[in-house]
Amino acid sequence: MAEINYIINSFLKDISNSILPLVVFITGVLVAIIVGRLSRRLLIAAEVPEGVEGTRFERTVNRLGTSTIGLLSGLITLFLIALAVGLTLSIGGVLDTRYYLELLRGYLLQVFVAALIVIIGLIVGDKAEVEIKQSLQDVKLTEMSLLPSAVKYSILFIASLIALAQLRIETAALLVVLGGYLLGVIVLGGLAFKDLLAAGAAGVFLIFSDPYSIGDTVDIDGHRGIVQEVGLFATHIESDEEEFILPNHLVLRSGIVRIRS
Amino acid sequence: MSGLGGVVTDLVADIDAVFLFSPSTASYEAIVDESDVPVVVVAVENTVGAELFIELPIEFREIKERIRFGMEGGIDQEYIDTGTIILCAMNLFDDGIDSVIRVRAGEFTHTGIYDLFVNSRAEPSVIRNVLEVVIGLGKKGQKGKPVGALFVVGDAGKVMNKSRSLSYNPFEKSHVHVGDPIVDVMLKEFSRLDGAFVISDSGKIVSAYRYLEPAAEGVDIPKGLGTRHMAAGAITRDTNAIAIVLSESDGLVRAFSGGELIFELDPEAY
Repeated sequence: MAEINYIINSFLKDISNSILPLVVFITGVLVAIIVGRLSRRLLIAAEVPEGVEGTRFERTVNRLGTSTIGLLSGLITLFLIALAVGLTLSIGGVLDTRYYLELLRGYLLQVFVAALIVIIGLIVGDKAEVEIKQSLQDVKLTEMSLLPSAVKYSILFIASLIALAQLRIETAALLVVLGGYLLGVIVLGGLAFKDLLAAGAAGVFLIFSDPYSIGDTVDIDGHRGIVQEVGLFATHIESDEEEFILPNHLVLRSGIVRIRS
Repeated sequence: MSGLGGVVTDLVADIDAVFLFSPSTASYEAIVDESDVPVVVVAVENTVGAELFIELPIEFREIKERIRFGMEGGIDQEYIDTGTIILCAMNLFDDGIDSVIRVRAGEFTHTGIYDLFVNSRAEPSVIRNVLEVVIGLGKKGQKGKPVGALFVVGDAGKVMNKSRSLSYNPFEKSHVHVGDPIVDVMLKEFSRLDGAFVISDSGKIVSAYRYLEPAAEGVDIPKGLGTRHMAAGAITRDTNAIAIVLSESDGLVRAFSGGELIFELDPEAY
């Protein structure tokens, strides 16, 4: 009799021991699915599908039979399911609770964030490429096709740097590369755009103070004619035969002679 | 049925080029893949990524105007020459291509409508924006009453020197451009003023209230048009500007370039 009692008892104990993890697991999966759905709707409401339209990433994902928002919400669902599995295992006693918490706080979250950063980096990089390509569409210069890819790979590089840092992988060497790259861009860019910046600053002054306006006859730096256009970077002056396009910083430097007649 | 089929076969027989008017991507790609003659897309925007593309400034309602613009654009960009036989395919009613028209490029007399938009001093987008404002003005009028308006676009420095101010210029020291969102309202309000609007090559509104003083000799515009049109024709002959006029009496929009009337359209149809 006592033996049967023991068997029943242990059987009930086993059931009660496994019901809690089961409930936790099912609830966890349900929550994961619901949050996945919600994030999908949220992404649609935030007009993410319109934003990623036409990027290479979206096309690749489409070929795999899903979409960017599908991938993102799927990632969130997967992350939550992984959490639920871990939680179930730790309650069931298979996994040490401390170890689980460590895992949760540490690696799982990092991997999730890193994956998210890589995806966002890919999308932003592709989007930037598409946008720049579109704005350069009118410029039929083959060399210009380098610029969109350069921007795209710069963004990808930075995104992968952040993702690697998330995973606590040593990125010092890559940071040096990034530093060198940025220094090059800033120094060379500054040198290259020096005149444009000066012209732009002078242009702002000219536009605000309006020392001459369209239709005035002026003499600037020896170029005499009618002002046709005052832009941010250049002033167009036209005489009978010629049109002078003067950078605005030259206008400020040489001064303006207004011809009154 | 076979007789009808023969007509269609004759239509597409030995054509030298295909002009697609605002095609969908699917129909464009299907035709480009099949076609052994150049395929030119004529549309407001190059949404299909076509290699040969002619930009329409507005969706001309009149099919003839649309085709004419396409022809002149094609000749200007050297996609075709005057002897080319072209098949124009477009949609008139619902989605998809439902009409084909066969035309020889030289059949149209050259009006310069394409030149007006693309080869004027002012940027094409500026001319398009002005045209849109004028069409809007022609449609609604000012507070329900028909208004007239005269916009001189491009070569603003010369135009300013060939005109004088009737009164204080509301656009002095301002830096608004046509196409800015608020400008439609401003222009509509100021259109009750007399005189012309002067707009620069880049679209800056230089002045309102200008009295144009060009030499009007030798300006040949159709009889029956008023002083506003005469002034518009004359200023475009005297300078490199173009002029877009909204007639107060018949409500039509007319464009002038080089002292000649280039086209007229009814704003009610847009």
